Amino acid sequence: MTAGQRILLVEDNELNRNMMVRRLNRAGLEVITAGNGQQALDIMHAEQPSVVLMDMNLPVLDGWAASRRAKEDESIRDIPIIALTAHATEAHRVYAMEAGCDDYATKPVDFPGLLTKIRELTRA
Amino acid sequence: MTINTSPTPEWIDHIRRDFEALRQEFSIHQNHLGELTLGDFTHIFDAASRLEQMLDTSELATHSHDLMNVLTALRGYAEMLREDIGASHSNLDAILSSLLESVQAAHNGSTVQSANQSRDIQSDPGFILAVDDRQENRELVARNLSRIGHIVITAASGEEALRALEQSDVDVVLLDLIMPGMNGHEFLRRIKEHPEWRATPVIVISGSQDMDGIIECIEAGADDYLFKPFNPVLLQARIKAGIERKRWHDKEQQYRLQLERNEKFIRATFGRYLSDEIVTDILERPEGLELGGDLRRVSIMLSDIRGFTSLSENLAPAQVVSMLNRYLGVMTDIIMAHHGTIDEFIGDAILAVFGAPQYRDDDADRAVKCALAMQAAMADINALNEAEGFPAISTGIAINTGDVIAGNIGSERRSKYGFVGHPMNVTSRIEDVTAGDEILISESTLQSLKGNYRLGRSEQINVKGIDETILVHQVAGEKT
Repeated sequence: MTAGQRILLVEDNELNRNMMVRRLNRAGLEVITAGNGQQALDIMHAEQPSVVLMDMNLPVLDGWAASRRAKEDESIRDIPIIALTAHATEAHRVYAMEAGCDDYATKPVDFPGLLTKIRELTRA
Repeated sequence: MTINTSPTPEWIDHIRRDFEALRQEFSIHQNHLGELTLGDFTHIFDAASRLEQMLDTSELATHSHDLMNVLTALRGYAEMLREDIGASHSNLDAILSSLLESVQAAHNGSTVQSANQSRDIQSDPGFILAVDDRQENRELVARNLSRIGHIVITAASGEEALRALEQSDVDVVLLDLIMPGMNGHEFLRRIKEHPEWRATPVIVISGSQDMDGIIECIEAGADDYLFKPFNPVLLQARIKAGIERKRWHDKEQQYRLQLERNEKFIRATFGRYLSDEIVTDILERPEGLELGGDLRRVSIMLSDIRGFTSLSENLAPAQVVSMLNRYLGVMTDIIMAHHGTIDEFIGDAILAVFGAPQYRDDDADRAVKCALAMQAAMADINALNEAEGFPAISTGIAINTGDVIAGNIGSERRSKYGFVGHPMNVTSRIEDVTAGDEILISESTLQSLKGNYRLGRSEQINVKGIDETILVHQVAGEKT
């Protein structure tokens, strides 16, 4: 990750959001946050983050719909999205990929594994 | 069911024990810890208080989603702390390690517990669209269904729901009837009129015993219904049934598409050589597809334009092709009309077979009638040829009846339905002695005919390669 790159974390639970921000900061990553899918899309437009960590179960606009809309939007479709869901089934992974997500991680998150995914997606 | 009436799970005691130990150990070291680590401790104790607050009340059973979030946060902070100070503070590391184990146990325990407590209905995960104008209702449904593995997308209005259907492959729609803007009835009508969405099961949710509204919806194509406030387990059960219906429909659709593809393929493969009727016949009989080589009694017809090679030398290539195409086009139509199978065009010659892939009683008769029709059509073809300044042409047609091997002949990469056997060569030999405007049939064809025909000259001819002479007869027309 080079300087100036930022991660957008989309998570509705404050406790979890704070924990993840702290942890990502600790790993040397700059983090901005959103609490729902609509905010996520707005921030993707305004801030053009390097990668998005998207909890899929969100209020207002859920992660599935937000991911789909992001991938239909030319100005933000190239921003990689990592889906975060509580379910580890193959069907959920497929759904996430169909929604346009670039990678997939189940909660509770294996943090070192997540960092690897983030680094892979932002290497370009 | 609440936590008060069920036995206290073991992990609760373990977590409380670990927190107590962590607080004691922290109080010993807190003056020597860095700012960052102190911050992590503040957060982990915040999360711990939140959890203890949940344990003290009966919130635990009703908010398993919140419990998951607290546990996830605890795990994250505990892992962070171990990374920071685990190496330098072995006591703290041991406590954190124990805490992580307790958190894991809590995670597993509460998953099992919530599944047991609410008698969740297990089902294949489905993609559910919940349509409701009230956010708290949408979240309630989303939580109830995503807990058992469904993916729930939500829409706040009929308009939004239609957009969601366009974007996602939805398994079941859960529809609140009363909404501002496009109401549930109107939305239902749109779904059931849509060619692709109409098969998607719709479960309508309506307020207090609105039986008239429900009946109207069922008539409009809704698949199931629930009254508010609904029992979550009943909702899960109906969703499961809806998903199963949708899966069956999808499977059926898949089979139908596969069948259509097969039919298209067969029509494309055989349609150029066989009449529509024969292709339909093959399609309707499953055994008709097994076109492995087999011995068939067929009547073989070979027609050839007399002196075409020398004739074409005086014409431009484009003229030759245009004249030939007109001739072959007319002849193809006539052969198909007589249910003949065109085996191939060899330059100006046409090789057709009657009796394969489908055998019929009148194969020989149709071959002869077809030949007569082809000769009769020559007058029109020549009239057109002359109008364009082309020379008149005449054809000789030979017909022979015998046993040949019919089947898909060739290699894996390229094969075609074709015929092999001595009678094919004999037909070619008869064609050699046929004059312009003449039809010659072999003795075996004559024996196979059921109708009456006017015959002309008969002749014995030699067949190359074998010591054999065969008798051929000229056919002048049908007897009326």
